[in-house]
Amino acid sequence: MPSEPAPSTNESTFLLSALRENIRLDGRALDAYRPISLTFGSEYGTADVRLGKTRVLAKIACEVTTPYPDRKFDGIFTINTELSPLGSPAFEVGRQDTTELLLSRVLEKTIRRSGALDTESLCIVAGQKCFHLKATLHVLDHDGNLVDASCLALVAALLHFRRQDIEVKGEDVTIFDVREREPIRLTIQHRPFCVSFSYYHNGEVMVQDATLLEEQCRQGEVVVSMNRFGEVAQIAKYGGAPVDGLSVLSCTTAALERVKGFDRMVTEALKADEARRDEGGLMAELSAENERPTGSMLVGSEN
Amino acid sequence: MPLDSSSYSIAQLSTQAAADGSSYLEMGLTKIICTVHGPRESPTRSGSSSQSPGAHIETSISIAGFSGTDRKRHGRNDKRTQEMQHTISSAFSSTLFTHLYPHSTITISLHVLSQDGSLLAACLNAATLALVDAGVPMSDYVVACTTGSTASYAGDGEEADPLLDLNGLEEQELPFLTVGTSGGEDKVNVLIMETRVQVGRLEAMISVGLDGCRQIRGMLDRVVREHGERVLEARVA
Repeated sequence: MPSEPAPSTNESTFLLSALRENIRLDGRALDAYRPISLTFGSEYGTADVRLGKTRVLAKIACEVTTPYPDRKFDGIFTINTELSPLGSPAFEVGRQDTTELLLSRVLEKTIRRSGALDTESLCIVAGQKCFHLKATLHVLDHDGNLVDASCLALVAALLHFRRQDIEVKGEDVTIFDVREREPIRLTIQHRPFCVSFSYYHNGEVMVQDATLLEEQCRQGEVVVSMNRFGEVAQIAKYGGAPVDGLSVLSCTTAALERVKGFDRMVTEALKADEARRDEGGLMAELSAENERPTGSMLVGSEN
Repeated sequence: MPLDSSSYSIAQLSTQAAADGSSYLEMGLTKIICTVHGPRESPTRSGSSSQSPGAHIETSISIAGFSGTDRKRHGRNDKRTQEMQHTISSAFSSTLFTHLYPHSTITISLHVLSQDGSLLAACLNAATLALVDAGVPMSDYVVACTTGSTASYAGDGEEADPLLDLNGLEEQELPFLTVGTSGGEDKVNVLIMETRVQVGRLEAMISVGLDGCRQIRGMLDRVVREHGERVLEARVA
């Protein structure tokens, strides 16, 4: 199947006439998001984002390679997007379509080009060894707004990830196992998030977090990526119906509010995850006492 | 900020005789040839795949190896190029009257001979001229230009003075955006920004960009009218 089946005329006219009265089919306000859940996996660097029915999993992996000859002092950071038939029957394995192209370009511009990750900190020995950080995004369920969900998952996963510690003595490099030394966090310069706006009726109605049906009926979209300090990492409006210059600017103001919320949510989720991992706190770690079998087990062994 | 249109930009129509429409555009040192084929019957790749009632717009951009300062092969699968192709296709699909040509394809091929900044803007302008030459009905010209902000994003917003129409060097150093308009005054059709900039700067950058688009629109309109007059004179003679 090359593309999603287009919604029927009835469905799309109903949706559009409802939107004209500022009503969305699922009862949300025009600028409301579906319920977001952000969970981290047991391994470092896995984040699972659910946005209504949309679900995206981000996974970070790290390995040692040689750096590019023209970028000797930088590590390598690549982002892969995997749109498999698992997410939607319209996605085919090994065939690149526009959804994937635009998704990967937006993430590339938002996170890589804006310098969110300090790639110089991934360098081990200049020109010889560096870390290659691979971020992979798996779209597990597609119900619209892949861009926002993917960007959120990716930033959260980068913040959650820890790489192995290294020690460089002259030419000798030691990479410590996770059990030998506490793995260390990545250097994240800022946290950009994407907010996409779909518009209808020649830009009169702007909607945040569109579902798949809403995406299929829209006239165009504006994707704004920014961090909570109001720095815009990228804006993309690829054609579609022309809108006022002012309404594009109002998108950036709305995006700033939204991004602050995302930032807070990620910080809280990371803190909760840390608390969960650090059971018993420092005292439990420092204690030399071994766990003793409990009384009931002793009774059992006597028999 | 007036664009010096006399010596700076050269635009011609009907440069390629065999194509349905063609144009040649220079914006500074960026040079582009554009040819348009169609509207013609869609190649039957997958029988009922065309769900949209109107014509399908296909864009292909080929960037010559000698176009930049370093000789470099540009593959067709370069994601940046593919994104530009998508942008151009969707910018025109809302401006051309595609509903007049059901089950047809309009092919826009852009050949970049030399690049020195404002590549996407130049591509959009060249494509507009070629589509006018091909006689495809459209509601308005799609015109685009780039604007940059002089101060870096770390500085304060007061001294930031927007620049219009950046060249290659400026694009590497400054935050910039490409703005394209169509459908009357101040209607933004395309807006692409890829560099980090403070949100406060955007308003000035966009308004300067819209002003630039208005100037370019006037320039393209003049070129089209002059070309039309020449064609008419040739018919009469």
